[in-house]
Amino acid sequence: MSRTQVVIEVRNLCKTYYMEGGASQDVLKHINFKIYEGEFVAIMGHSGSGKSTLMNTLGCLDRPTSGEYLLAGEAVAKRSDQELALIRGQKIGFVFQNFNLMMKRTIVDNVSMPLIYQGIGESERRSRALEMLKIVGLEGYGDRPPSQISGGMQQRVAIARALINHPKIIFADEPTGNLDSTTSDEIMKLFTELNKQGITIVLVTHEDDVADYAKRMIKISDGRVEYDGLRKGYRA
Amino acid sequence: MIYQILREAWISISAYKLRTFLTMLGIVIGVASVVLMVAAGQTVQNEITKTFDSMGTNLIILAPAETVSGGVRGGRGRPSITFKDVEALKQLKDVETASYVVNTAVQAVYGSSNYGVSVYGTNPDYLTVGNWEIETGVPFTEKDVKAGKPYILIGQTIVDELFGLQNPIGKVLRLKGQPFTVIGTLKSKGDNLMGQDQDNIIMMPATTLRQRLRGSNRPNYADIAFVKVTEEDKMESVSKRIEYLLRSRHYLKEGTDNDFSIHLMTEMVEKVRSVGFILSLLLSAIASISLVVGSIGIMNMMLVSVTERTREIGTRKALGAPNRWIMFQFLAESIIISFMGSFVGMILGVALSQIAGMVLNKQVPVSIWSVVISASVAIVVGVVSGIMPARKAMKLDPIEALRYQ
Repeated sequence: MSRTQVVIEVRNLCKTYYMEGGASQDVLKHINFKIYEGEFVAIMGHSGSGKSTLMNTLGCLDRPTSGEYLLAGEAVAKRSDQELALIRGQKIGFVFQNFNLMMKRTIVDNVSMPLIYQGIGESERRSRALEMLKIVGLEGYGDRPPSQISGGMQQRVAIARALINHPKIIFADEPTGNLDSTTSDEIMKLFTELNKQGITIVLVTHEDDVADYAKRMIKISDGRVEYDGLRKGYRA
Repeated sequence: MIYQILREAWISISAYKLRTFLTMLGIVIGVASVVLMVAAGQTVQNEITKTFDSMGTNLIILAPAETVSGGVRGGRGRPSITFKDVEALKQLKDVETASYVVNTAVQAVYGSSNYGVSVYGTNPDYLTVGNWEIETGVPFTEKDVKAGKPYILIGQTIVDELFGLQNPIGKVLRLKGQPFTVIGTLKSKGDNLMGQDQDNIIMMPATTLRQRLRGSNRPNYADIAFVKVTEEDKMESVSKRIEYLLRSRHYLKEGTDNDFSIHLMTEMVEKVRSVGFILSLLLSAIASISLVVGSIGIMNMMLVSVTERTREIGTRKALGAPNRWIMFQFLAESIIISFMGSFVGMILGVALSQIAGMVLNKQVPVSIWSVVISASVAIVVGVVSGIMPARKAMKLDPIEALRYQ
């Protein structure tokens, strides 16, 4: 592996949920791995394996119970809500299964939304949003609402939104879960394209043919890393 | 940042136009009715002030004592103040002038017209005391009073009703069949607070009235007397002097009750004003109930909105929105709604009160209060009804919110 910068490093990451009545459940048990800049990693696992919790923790939406998490060299395991929001806004891009677009707003408004929280002015937001739409192949759609375009295109809008703050890493949580197979392929090709341009992507999926777009696979089972290495079916 | 928050809030609420409009309507109606009620109250108070100003406020009114028999207080007793008493009162310190009235109501006849009129028998000082002015002609004099001359001053209503376009000066009216010469007309005063026409009046020397219209076995007694005080803050001391003088003139022994009663106009004005003030306060209080209802409407809508937009809130948070930003956005939404509502309500309330004023032919003031009320409503209602939904939005866990269906 080429000696590039480490984007994500987790050491001994644990997550325990405490339930009412004193019972507790260990969802993540001593997870260790590193993700380097420019990688395309698929996180796989059955439902209940802990992959969603891992995803939320890596995405700075949740804090680990113990262990260390370095995002671009910065320890983020014990940050406040306020600081985590800032980190998410500056360093992370999210792509969700159900797109999570605001249907009553224009596509430009959707794409540029994360920049509001960075205090960036309206005209710059717009020009950057249009630029991102060009990258995902939606030039000329900016002033329409997302409700007028297809699901595949909506997901492209979401990807443009994830890219707009030039994040260190993009987390895609089942990005093709709501799409048919043809559209899924198109979206995955877009991710591959973006990855070739040097963008680090972490993909969470349970579909094998979607995971095949990733070079590396981390398989989570019962809160532990069961496999971490080359994806066997990787289509180069 | 404030601009960005307001802009996001504005876009969000304008996405639900009908719902926003209906919610706003509650505040519009609330503010409009409060503004309307305050205007109504102020109009009443202005009318009161106007009426008292037309009478003069630094007046002391002397009336017969109330009758008391067996602990039961009755109406006014026998007249006890004589014309000479009033002349004596004029000499007191700080008294500008004093007057008295004996009155009766008769039918005034001129040619083929006749009109029911209130007749005041008095002295020349009554013009000063009652803030009357002569429009044309001359007033009667002290000499005329002594001689019991049949000279009369007539109000504008009598001029209009009996003389029309003729000049009434020098004409002879008949009251109870007796002739009276018009020597002057009085400037119009309009209606008083109770809606009575103050211009339906004939003034003549009290002696004349006693001799020709209303005989009495006590011909030198007045029904009511007025003392005009030089300054308003001398009222109390003058009333004490009046009491002392009248008691000694009436030979009242120590321990006996006054056979007259003293009323200070300033006190009466205060009483009526406070009634007017309480009235307008009450009206506004009732009207503000609709404001409370409107405010609950906003809170209700905002709570629904937060629930509906749970996923949006989750997405915004995941994409870097700080909790405080989310809270301020929702707070801004409710403040914008209440702000617009109270602005429209203020315009509506002022407009309606002016229209009502025109219809009722009354001067309705456009008060600074309507602006104060609507501005404070905009902020208080917006914040109070928005804070709970905004905090609810702020506290949403982004993970849960993103999962919300």
